[in-house]
Amino acid sequence: MRKRLGSFHIHALLWGIVALVVVTGVARQVLNGSVGPSSKTRLAFWNGFTGPDGIVMLRMIEDFNRKNPDVQVVMQRIPWATYYNKLTVAGSDGRGPEVFIVHADAMPRIRRAGFLGDLSPLYGPGMLDPADFDPYVVQQMDFAGKKLGVPLDVHPQGLYVNKAMMRAAGYKHPPRDKAEFLDLLAKTTIEEGPNTPQKQWGFAFTYWGANFRSLVPQFGGRYTDPQGNAVLNSAENVRALEFLETIAREKKAPPADNGLGWFGFRTQRVAMVWDGVFMLGDLMRLNDLEYVGAPVPKIGPKPGAFGNSHVLCVKRALNPKQQDAATRFIAYLSDHSLEWAAAGQVPARKSIRSLPEFQKLQVQAAFAEQVPHVLFPPRTPVIFEFMLEMDRAVERVVRGQAKPKQALDEANKNAQAVIDRDRREHPEVLP
Amino acid sequence: MRARGKDALTGYLFLAPFLVLFACFVILPVGISLWLSVVRLDLANASSSQFIGAQNYTDAVGDNFFWMAAQATGKYALLMTPSVLILGTAIALGLHAMSRGREMARALIYLPSMLNVAATGILWQWFLNNEFGLFNYVIKKLGGQSVPWLTDANMAMPSIVLMSLWWTVGGTSVIILTALQQIPKMFFEAAALDGATERQIFGKVMLPLLKPVLLFVFVTTTIASFQMFGQAMILTAGGPTFSTRGLVQYMFETAFNGYRFGYGAAISWLLFAGIAVFSVAQARLLRSRGDL
Repeated sequence: MRKRLGSFHIHALLWGIVALVVVTGVARQVLNGSVGPSSKTRLAFWNGFTGPDGIVMLRMIEDFNRKNPDVQVVMQRIPWATYYNKLTVAGSDGRGPEVFIVHADAMPRIRRAGFLGDLSPLYGPGMLDPADFDPYVVQQMDFAGKKLGVPLDVHPQGLYVNKAMMRAAGYKHPPRDKAEFLDLLAKTTIEEGPNTPQKQWGFAFTYWGANFRSLVPQFGGRYTDPQGNAVLNSAENVRALEFLETIAREKKAPPADNGLGWFGFRTQRVAMVWDGVFMLGDLMRLNDLEYVGAPVPKIGPKPGAFGNSHVLCVKRALNPKQQDAATRFIAYLSDHSLEWAAAGQVPARKSIRSLPEFQKLQVQAAFAEQVPHVLFPPRTPVIFEFMLEMDRAVERVVRGQAKPKQALDEANKNAQAVIDRDRREHPEVLP
Repeated sequence: MRARGKDALTGYLFLAPFLVLFACFVILPVGISLWLSVVRLDLANASSSQFIGAQNYTDAVGDNFFWMAAQATGKYALLMTPSVLILGTAIALGLHAMSRGREMARALIYLPSMLNVAATGILWQWFLNNEFGLFNYVIKKLGGQSVPWLTDANMAMPSIVLMSLWWTVGGTSVIILTALQQIPKMFFEAAALDGATERQIFGKVMLPLLKPVLLFVFVTTTIASFQMFGQAMILTAGGPTFSTRGLVQYMFETAFNGYRFGYGAAISWLLFAGIAVFSVAQARLLRSRGDL
């Protein structure tokens, strides 16, 4: 009896496992739409919009699906921290999504993985007008004569100012140039006293590397030359870093601390910070903070700011139905990027930015003024190591461990070594 | 004989689901990482992978960032392991001596161990924030000077150790307390009857009997210290100027941000070798000083 029972249990367990595998397999197929009567073209759309921006995007997708009954777009949101690994692994062996978002600076690396499809036809007559994008921004999509993406937005760094502190210092508008910036900084820096139990700072570094990158275009600097070699230690970049060095050395900002600047601004202990337009979503949740957005003050001889783009891309070798659906979807998102702006972004299309509805979005509209002067991160497949070298140089300077020229010389040497290593390891010419 | 064979088969069948998962998710990845460590593999161009022998390992030896990360890891382990051992033992002794409220105190001390590293890190980021943090606020209220907890290269690692202690010492103290409670009272009574002082009872009776547990805590804390990652990633992101970027963070960034999987795998095997050497050395050293 005992033996029979034992045998029964094993068989039941094994059959149970088999049944579970079959049922879950069939369920997966049905849910994926591979089985069943649906004639819809299914598009998987991956991105890293895991914050409130993802809710806005989801709404836009629902609208698209409603207006395009023959297409079903399914969005997959993955945190940016792991997004590119998953996208690269899935894309490299053909399991990637049909449509996906890539930051402009990640495009050279994703292109190397070999699954970026050509979107040049989308810029043709009756589709998207290349002239509706800023020339520099649309240039970032060009690889070997092909356009491999459509920029959905441009997210520049800009100036956030606490309105109450600005008014208390006698300013009616955010600072526009170096003199005004330093003046307001001094006036809003208030030592501890009866009215300020804790010191109020006029300015604080947010992410110091990005703060530096906002000054680079203002001084006419670049990260690489046209041949792709590092030029981090150019005279222009040194001058840009010298400004941050002065701020740190003269203790016009608290010592750079991970996350300090933004925390100080949102808790009303810091009057001004430079940060990305994407941080707006965080401020929108606060009820007791009055703020205003503005372009990064003109510290150098010309305006400029650091920026990047969320770029819409497609998988290579889509079938004609998928290609058509993906093209319509991308054009739809681009045409409706005013809705996307509400999520705290600046649309890449000039025609959208000129709409009165967009101009009413104070911070986005103010940050958008910088788009013609924006400088993207360098176009290199070794972007992570390159930026690490640059950020380390900036950190050493703002912590008083090195002079700007010395730090940028070392960073340039190391960054060039990384570029040279990459060239040795990847001599192939990409199509 | 046939029945025994059938019983064995039954046993293997029950073990099979675990063995399959273990082979798929432990043995296979370990084997793959060993293979990865001897090839040049860029995640963005996996088809161009190339066997390069020990070059990833020799590259690591000549890599300044590798040695900086090794130094940061060593510093953390050196500060963390004795601290957790001493503090954990002290707390366990205190709890053991309590006649009332021991359960409540034990639960409170253990509570932080239930948090994950992300929650703990974010909480402590605001405690230790240079300008707006709780600790400096209190210090200044008491008339002291601000402490550059996370902005000074010499202070950042001890600050991370402080957070790690708060986070993990509860678990360690509960393990030591359990061992303490299992020591038969007659040993202490016999020692007291023989006229031993409290210090002698602690040194000659309690500590030797706790030695197996202390060795276990010592070895596991050392291994965990070598694998430090989340604390520094959240509190300092490896700064200031890479002074708290440990080997696991460097390995992670090399493989998953830099896409250099081969080199990342080699770093992980070098870390494994380091942990293995330290663990064996620790075990031998402690065993040689007593009969464990």
